[in-house]
Amino acid sequence: MPILLACGATFAQNPTRINIKGTAIDSSNAAMPFATVMLLTPKDSTLVNFGRTDEKGAFEFKNVKNLSYLLKISSVGYLPFQEEIKPSDKAINELGNLKLKPIAKELMEVVIRTARAPLSIKGDTIEYNAASFKVPPGSTVEDLLRKLPGVQIDQEGNIKAQGQDVKKVTVDGKQFFGSDPKLATKNLPAEAITKIQVFNHKTEQSKITGIDDGKKEKTMNLELKESFKKGGFGKATVGAGTDQRAEFKGNYNKFDAKQQFAFIGNMNNTNQGGISWDDYQDFKGSSAFNWGDDADFGFSSGRRFVYFGDEDEGVSISPGGGNRNRGFSSNGSAGLNYNYDTKKTKFTSSYYYNQVRSLMDSYAFRRTFLQNNESFDTKDTSNRTSFNGNHRVNLRFQKEIDSLNTLIVISNSRFTDANDTYGSNQYFYRNNLFRSGTEIDNNGGKNSFGTVNSVIFRHKFKKKGRSFAISAGYNMNQGDANARQVSLNYFLNATSVNDAIRNIRQLNTTNSTINLYKGSLLFVEPLNKKFFLETFYNTSLQSSKVNRDVDSIYIKNEKEAYSIVNELSRNYLNEITYNRVGTSLRYSSKGLNLSGGLAWQHYNLKGEFINNKLTQQKGVVSRNFSAFAPNVSLNYDLKNNRYLYAEYNVGVQEPNIRDLQPIVDNSNPRYISEGNPDLLPQVTKTLSGGFNKFDPATFINLYINFNFNSFTNQVVYNQTVDDNFITRTKPVNISGGWSAGPYLGFGFPLKKTKATMNVNSSAFYSKNLSYINGILNNTNNDNYNVGVRLDLTPLDWFTFYANANFGISNTKYSINSEQNQQVFNNNFGGDMNIKFPKGIYFNTKFNYRVYKNERFGFDQKIPLMNMSVYRVVGKAQKAEIRFTAYDVFKRNLGITQSANQNFVSQERVQTLSRYFMLSFTYNMRGVKAQIRKRNSWD
Amino acid sequence: MKKYNILYASILLFVFSFTFAQKDEGIINFERVVHYPKIIARLPYLSQEEKDRVKLTWGSDDEWKEKMKLVFSPTKSLYTYLNDQGESEDGTWAWRNDELVITRDFEKEKKTEIIEMLGKTYIVDDSLHTPKWKVMNQIKDVAGYICMKAVTEDTLKKQKITAWFAGDIPVSAVPERYFGLPGVILELDINEGDVVITATKVEFKKLDKELILPKTKGKKIKDADYDALLRNHLKDSIKSQRNPYWAIRY
Repeated sequence: MPILLACGATFAQNPTRINIKGTAIDSSNAAMPFATVMLLTPKDSTLVNFGRTDEKGAFEFKNVKNLSYLLKISSVGYLPFQEEIKPSDKAINELGNLKLKPIAKELMEVVIRTARAPLSIKGDTIEYNAASFKVPPGSTVEDLLRKLPGVQIDQEGNIKAQGQDVKKVTVDGKQFFGSDPKLATKNLPAEAITKIQVFNHKTEQSKITGIDDGKKEKTMNLELKESFKKGGFGKATVGAGTDQRAEFKGNYNKFDAKQQFAFIGNMNNTNQGGISWDDYQDFKGSSAFNWGDDADFGFSSGRRFVYFGDEDEGVSISPGGGNRNRGFSSNGSAGLNYNYDTKKTKFTSSYYYNQVRSLMDSYAFRRTFLQNNESFDTKDTSNRTSFNGNHRVNLRFQKEIDSLNTLIVISNSRFTDANDTYGSNQYFYRNNLFRSGTEIDNNGGKNSFGTVNSVIFRHKFKKKGRSFAISAGYNMNQGDANARQVSLNYFLNATSVNDAIRNIRQLNTTNSTINLYKGSLLFVEPLNKKFFLETFYNTSLQSSKVNRDVDSIYIKNEKEAYSIVNELSRNYLNEITYNRVGTSLRYSSKGLNLSGGLAWQHYNLKGEFINNKLTQQKGVVSRNFSAFAPNVSLNYDLKNNRYLYAEYNVGVQEPNIRDLQPIVDNSNPRYISEGNPDLLPQVTKTLSGGFNKFDPATFINLYINFNFNSFTNQVVYNQTVDDNFITRTKPVNISGGWSAGPYLGFGFPLKKTKATMNVNSSAFYSKNLSYINGILNNTNNDNYNVGVRLDLTPLDWFTFYANANFGISNTKYSINSEQNQQVFNNNFGGDMNIKFPKGIYFNTKFNYRVYKNERFGFDQKIPLMNMSVYRVVGKAQKAEIRFTAYDVFKRNLGITQSANQNFVSQERVQTLSRYFMLSFTYNMRGVKAQIRKRNSWD
Repeated sequence: MKKYNILYASILLFVFSFTFAQKDEGIINFERVVHYPKIIARLPYLSQEEKDRVKLTWGSDDEWKEKMKLVFSPTKSLYTYLNDQGESEDGTWAWRNDELVITRDFEKEKKTEIIEMLGKTYIVDDSLHTPKWKVMNQIKDVAGYICMKAVTEDTLKKQKITAWFAGDIPVSAVPERYFGLPGVILELDINEGDVVITATKVEFKKLDKELILPKTKGKKIKDADYDALLRNHLKDSIKSQRNPYWAIRY
């Protein structure tokens, strides 16, 4: 104290440092102990210093700068006290008694304690969080206001706040349809509101005149929830091009906090089918990805997958499918989706229709290898016109009944209407000598209906980790197909007239119904915090009923007439009963997931068939199989973004029941198949694993993985080819086939953010076994691939992505080593983006493909280039005009080559080549040009 | 700097002079909720369409929850995960937590922070730095305590930070990497709801070993190094159009 006094005496002016002291008291003048006292800067309330009152309510800040402060005292149950204090001319600034006002009891109890709503006092405005006041769903703002402390509403809906009439209600600060305050409060749903503010507003009069008439109106402002700000957006693209090419694509979304509605439509004749991932996500919204929809419980590996159905034949709407690079196709699709989405209840329904009309003119060459280094060639000129239309309806409902029980109901269906016309001229050669030929003129149509339904119920027990799940499913597939098959087969080396020409004129009608009933159980029991025992049971019954009538077509009285061909018509009923029970022990702790288990599965296959409609002789196939299938998996988070995983799995696949039936099918005179009742289930042992590392600081990443499959009792089709090149096939079991494939990927920046290099290499080895004319053929494949990618992103207005891939594949045939193949498949590509001034952008994609197969003297180099120039137009940057040139060099020839089990083939399909297109896009949310390629994981 | 020193002095002052009612030692449990769609919506290189896509797909199911704890005494505090591993709600799936232990020593004006980020474990050893808090005129109840509102800004990550602190618990302990308010922060809102850390349980008790820093290997750095690491990472990631927040704590 003497020091401070000394200071005061030394300086005549204001001292630079002072003490500030005072005493906090309540409205009854009692001292307030332990209140928080803060010194803030008056300018922006920055905290400078703080302390606390003692037992007598006194506080003192010692040796603080002598400046203006905002003094703030707060204590539970009191409105924060606030006072500005000026620089003092004394060494001790004694503020005396400072009185804190209590917070109104109703505000304290209702707003703060019960509703836990923040309470702000801004001058004369009191604001609280409306979301904290629970009102029943469907309530209006008026219902909500009735709950608010300090607000009264009379019979007519007039509002009073703090005893005064509220003259005006604004929404987000804006007037809501006219001046009647009741309009907003009676019409807006309570759920839409996040905050309610009540304050005094200058009258309209004073706002217009600018003269404060001193009159104030009580005004209430309703602040809308961010998510409730209803939204709608969409985009559309139309394009027209040379060769009568045209495209249309559009989507529209509308949503609020709980509901999402989407429309999508697409029409083109530029081979663009399917639905892209982005469009799929926009269309399905919150129902795009669902976990836990797989009703067939089994081994869990520790990784979670989102389950999608098959793309074309499947019943659910799935992304993918995009570009068809073969033939010509016209595509159309349209879909509607509706989601209702709350924390507890989720419902989604969608309808999607897509159709494809396609045209394929192709020329194919195939060389088939036989024993003794023999082979024959097939040349085939064909054309196919086909139409396929699918209606899909997808429904999903999820209800969290309570915290322990969840129900999921899924129902997906598809109706398909398809038809096609197929014409073909096939010529068969041996040693370059023309030996026989086939002319085909077929057409047919098919209607099919498929539905997949499942119900999953999950229950968690009170004991943490113990859970139970049960599921039931019903799938049905029904098809009605008719086909008119007309073919002429002629054989030059035939010895009799009868054998020289075989003429087929048939009408096939097939009705089939497949019903699948299934059920699964899963029980998880925690042994302790780290070990879990998972036990599952699956059962299913599949019954297939097929009726096939074959009529031969002949001309009677200048009219077509039909008579049944008994030896080709048949009907059959197949039933597969499947049961599996399994259990696994899983360890899960700190990123290490290990699991090992064993399942036992049993199949009962029963088939009844009538092979000849005339004799009605019944054949029966009945087989029982059972097998043990182990499963081991490892998933390990090794810290610092390194992950290790491995899995060993044994899969048992029962034979296709049609392969079991000893029926000869000679509807295709060139390819006659026969079943084999002695087939055993195929067992596939799979071992896979890998290691990933990503360093987010240096952007270096490494991916290593491998995959090994070995087959026991693999079902393969033995082939017998006779002198007329008629192939007869029969399925048999064979063991010893395998395949293996390691992969290595490595990416690193050459210069961070500007240049990135990615290198990957992979190999694939396989051994395929089959019998060709009774001789075991061993087809060995080994493929090697090396790829390099260089991403150059040096500037905001320029990017260049280059890639090169080199592939060699060797195929060796044990029965005909002369025909061993070596195929080189190299690919070089570039993708460049440039931004020019005035919103003009340029993109070009170039691809150069080199395909070499020396055995056939085949050396193909195909350069493909697409270019586009586009400009983002309009003030709001919402539209884009684009000019695109596809296949600038007109070199898209639709060539494919493959080397298979015992044949190599080359095919050339007439396909979409050079065309130019001008298109216009309007996007309600603005068009953003993409100079850089997006990383897929963001 | 001078200003901060005065602030520390006064913190120490009140820490020593007002040890009353035993409300200065105990454990607070927090729930940390991360809203990834909101964070993604802040990435400058994404188009509105891409942001909306994320929001429509994940917006209604966007809460990633973590359980944290803050252990405090009048002189020290330690903030880390409540459990030694991350777990699914039913406890049947467990994953490794990134290293994270944040300690404060009010007496020595020191801090030690063990933070795994950018694929490495760092140990930040430095003196305490206080952000520039602004105290606002709002109060609310968090976990049964009346809290006052204070705001600041993370200048590095460009985040608005809102803290609700309880004057009733007179310790400058805080969740995450903050410091320097006249009471424990019971709710911390990072960037307008992108991440919200809320106290779920406040328990006062005499502490034994809870405040001892676990032994961890890591690279020792200072606050300035930490800031430089973060600044570079943010700059490079945004430039490369990658989401920086998969590799650092938001």
